[in-house]
Amino acid sequence: MKSRALRRVALAAAVASTSALVLAGCSGGGGAAAGSSDEEITLTVATFNDFGYTEELLNAYTAEHPNVKIVHNRAAKSNDARANYFQKLGKTGLADIEGIEVDWLPEVMKYSDLLAPVPDDLKSRWLDWKVKAATDSSGNLVGYGTDIGPEAICYRSDLFEAAGLPTEPADVAAALQGDWSKYFEMGDKYVAATGKPFFDSASSVYQGMINQVEAAYENPDSGEITATTNPEVKKIYTETLDASKTQSAHFEQWSTDWYAGMANGAFATLSCPGWMLTQIEGNAPEVSGWKIADVFPNGGGNWGGSYLTVPANGPHVAEAQALADWLTSPEQQVKFFQQAGTFPSQVDALKSADLLGAKNAYFSDAPIGEIFTNRANAVSVTPFKGQYYFQVNDAMSKALLRVDQGTQDAQTSWDQWVSQVDAIG
Amino acid sequence: MTTTLQPPATPAASAPDGPPARTPRRVGFGSKLSAWDLKLSPYLYISPFFILFIVTGLFPILYTGVISFMDWDQIRGSGTFVGFDQYAYVLSQPAFWDALRNTFSIFVLSTVPQLLFAVFIAAMLDQNIRAKTLWRMGVLVPYVMAPVAVALIFSNMFGDQYGIVNTLLGRIGLPAVGWHSDTFASHIAIATMVNFRWTGYNTLILLAAMQAVPREYYEAATVDGAGKVRQFFSITLPSLKPTLIFVVITSTIGGLQIFDEPRMFDQGGTGGSNNQWLTISLYLYKLGWGEWNFGRAAALAWILFLIILVIGAVNLFISRSLVRDEGARDGLSRAQRRAASRAAKQRLAAESTGKGARS
Amino acid sequence: MSVIDTSPVTAAADPTPPRRRPRAVRGSRPGWFVYASLGVVLLAAIVPYYWALLIGSGDSSTIRNTDLSWIPGGNFFTNAAAVLNNPAVNFWAGLWNSIFSSTLIAASVVFFSTLAGWAFAKLRFRGGPWLLVFVVATMAVPTQLGVVPLYILFSEIGWTGQIGAIIVPALTSAFGVFWMTQYLRQAVPDELIEAARVDGASSFRTFLTVGVPAARPAAAMLGLFTFVTAWNNFFWPFIVLDRQNPTLPVALSLLQSNYFVDYSVVLAGVLLSTVPLLLLFVFAGKQLVSGIMQGAVKG
Repeated sequence: MKSRALRRVALAAAVASTSALVLAGCSGGGGAAAGSSDEEITLTVATFNDFGYTEELLNAYTAEHPNVKIVHNRAAKSNDARANYFQKLGKTGLADIEGIEVDWLPEVMKYSDLLAPVPDDLKSRWLDWKVKAATDSSGNLVGYGTDIGPEAICYRSDLFEAAGLPTEPADVAAALQGDWSKYFEMGDKYVAATGKPFFDSASSVYQGMINQVEAAYENPDSGEITATTNPEVKKIYTETLDASKTQSAHFEQWSTDWYAGMANGAFATLSCPGWMLTQIEGNAPEVSGWKIADVFPNGGGNWGGSYLTVPANGPHVAEAQALADWLTSPEQQVKFFQQAGTFPSQVDALKSADLLGAKNAYFSDAPIGEIFTNRANAVSVTPFKGQYYFQVNDAMSKALLRVDQGTQDAQTSWDQWVSQVDAIG
Repeated sequence: MTTTLQPPATPAASAPDGPPARTPRRVGFGSKLSAWDLKLSPYLYISPFFILFIVTGLFPILYTGVISFMDWDQIRGSGTFVGFDQYAYVLSQPAFWDALRNTFSIFVLSTVPQLLFAVFIAAMLDQNIRAKTLWRMGVLVPYVMAPVAVALIFSNMFGDQYGIVNTLLGRIGLPAVGWHSDTFASHIAIATMVNFRWTGYNTLILLAAMQAVPREYYEAATVDGAGKVRQFFSITLPSLKPTLIFVVITSTIGGLQIFDEPRMFDQGGTGGSNNQWLTISLYLYKLGWGEWNFGRAAALAWILFLIILVIGAVNLFISRSLVRDEGARDGLSRAQRRAASRAAKQRLAAESTGKGARS
Repeated sequence: MSVIDTSPVTAAADPTPPRRRPRAVRGSRPGWFVYASLGVVLLAAIVPYYWALLIGSGDSSTIRNTDLSWIPGGNFFTNAAAVLNNPAVNFWAGLWNSIFSSTLIAASVVFFSTLAGWAFAKLRFRGGPWLLVFVVATMAVPTQLGVVPLYILFSEIGWTGQIGAIIVPALTSAFGVFWMTQYLRQAVPDELIEAARVDGASSFRTFLTVGVPAARPAAAMLGLFTFVTAWNNFFWPFIVLDRQNPTLPVALSLLQSNYFVDYSVVLAGVLLSTVPLLLLFVFAGKQLVSGIMQGAVKG
């Protein structure tokens, strides 16, 4: 505890100068890390998927801190990275900065004391719901927010045209303004006109809906699991499956069939966070009809997002924190966004001109910076995710898939889910 | 100085109908050193395995054993003793029984055809064929393929809506099969993946053993008029008995531990929306690496170990009784008996002339 | 009548090499059935590789293509170059580490397994049968959990990130010991050993002159299997090594580390990594066939 306080004091100077620069809107990274000596040190940064950290962009930091060498390690899949992370947390073997995904947070929070907390004055950098999710019960923020996944609706304008639905993004957005019933109504129209599914799977729709519920699965105060008795959960479950009967393409997300569906018109709409755009483009390069509507039922939702954590027992915690600070500063995050589509979670980044002006050619020059900023600002509910969230949700996705694929009917699947949830913990 | 020992030729002379029985050897080299050599060398030869095993094998096993009785927090490295609670928990989970059912189903679907194919293909390869290297290495080629590639190939082949297999089925008028939704269909698909990978492996093991069978047996049998098939069942299979037992046991152990193929069958790697293809190893992985509950995972590991021991013993018993022992007198056909006696006599003659030449 | 040869023993005393027994029995070659069956098997084995080639020579959308043409596209070398030049994938380091560790592991496993197998199969010693059962039983313990305590062990001694952490746990294998035991049981007649003993050979010498030649076909096969298994091992190297010092499967897995994965490049990488193994096959295959011919010394 004492050493943490000391480190915080030592970092204050660096943080203060960094914040000053940031607020002034200047580009360029933070000032010198006052706590470090001038010896050569190597900092390892471990990420997965694609955070947008390229050699070039990282060199900007080393140019200003010649005594620091940065080694960037990437794991292929987030599951492997997760296994690696928890295997080594609290022991040796983790990098100086470790990327984590928002899905892992409930478990990470159990071990928040093993991570170096983010200095208090940085907290205002990020959107408050981003900060809240990574703050533990003692008030320590343990993750430097990187990106978020505010959702919009991607749609096939060519298929919409064939079904007699509006095709321009603004018109589609106007038509879907409101809650989920508007979405399902449009779905019914589409199915009636073409006989083909409207969305990809029951679980993607469910996911969008459940993330807008304040405390879906657990009681925020006691941590008890309330999922099976929460009427909202049952309501959303039923609504989703009712619509899915005709409107769902019955895919399992991330399966080979689902990828193929992006290209062959098996579904007409998809919930789209920023990182989904490269998926669609990569899997359906010849399709020209995909567009993005600046709308999401009930305003907004968040799917995914990551943080950088600094293990507290690392050899260069202060320097690592300085680097993490720089990596998650608004200007840098905008650069990473331009590189990999990782949408910034920093408040100031959302105001940046570079961000707001970003366009995506594949999606007919959609102004993605604007769209996702609007969606991010429209997120009104931060769902509470306690330590059992992941397990309960996982069981629910399976329950939905069973019905979606026709293996079970809705009631049996629900009952099975209830008994599984009761056995948890 | 005593130099000679009892001639081993005696057993051969006394049992002309079958392979000679061994008489106890009398150690009479007359030097203490060689006596120690004989006594100690076996232990020396097996010690590298055991030494390494104690270091890198025993520790994990003991560790797993200990934490199976605890509620273990892997990250903090601490836990509380809970007795058999973890075992009770695992056994009370429907997922466990699903996993047991799936494991056995996939095990039977993969091991049985695999072994039958392996024996058949090995018998083909044992023939005097041209381009031996090509054929022999060819059967091992599937084993070489990197797991990620196997996963890609088969998940594409067995895709429910756009997979090649369903497309072909559609072309010949059959309905599409729900490879990822129907339980039994998923077992068939996974068994196919397993068989693809491991058949060649077992084939070459059996082939190596087949090549060690003395050719005179076959020659004698051909002289006696026995056809190839008859020779196969009467000569090849009995002579292969130790290797067959080996293959059955390792396939049993491997088959009950099947992990990679079910995991690669879909993106999530958790055995299906209704645990259609969750195997015990996969469930173990889920408990340990998914839920981070290593105490439960350890309990399941030991339950699996017991299951394997039981099934392994059963299979051992079955294979020992099914395959005729090459030493049993009534198991031999006339042709084999004649060949054996001819061979034994010649061996005896060669040895005595050899010995005579040396002494 | 073919010549009976008790050569391992006589070879010690008599330097002329054993006469190779002719394989064929009066020149009988197998008929079409054998070749047809083998042809089907070979085809089944090769088709997936060909499919990988088709995808690897296409572009990112080829894998989604439901009616794929059977002719490879032209992109294979571009994709392969992308693999080799990818900065995140440390291909050459991975290749070297894989070759080095797999060779060492294969050699060690073959040697120690043959030695132990010889003891279990042909030497009588107290506790022998029980120890063999113990060895086989160790194969029944699931290995997934073993990663956790093994990692703790290696990080205590500071070996994380070192190739030794991959090699040491794999130096002997229960599978190898069990196989060599069963094979030697069947392939070496006891009389040969006794004859060697009569000649005054020590235990080890008997092993060298009788056991090793007899074991050669199975030992060669074991070496090949062990090499391939060690080569393709992913999870343990992933956990214990770092990205700067990977083995090839770990290095190649980074080709999948984007939100969108270009499978044409991934499969090109897979094919590239299979080349060393296939080369090994060609080389080892020739050795194996000739080894089988010479090693089958029967009395």
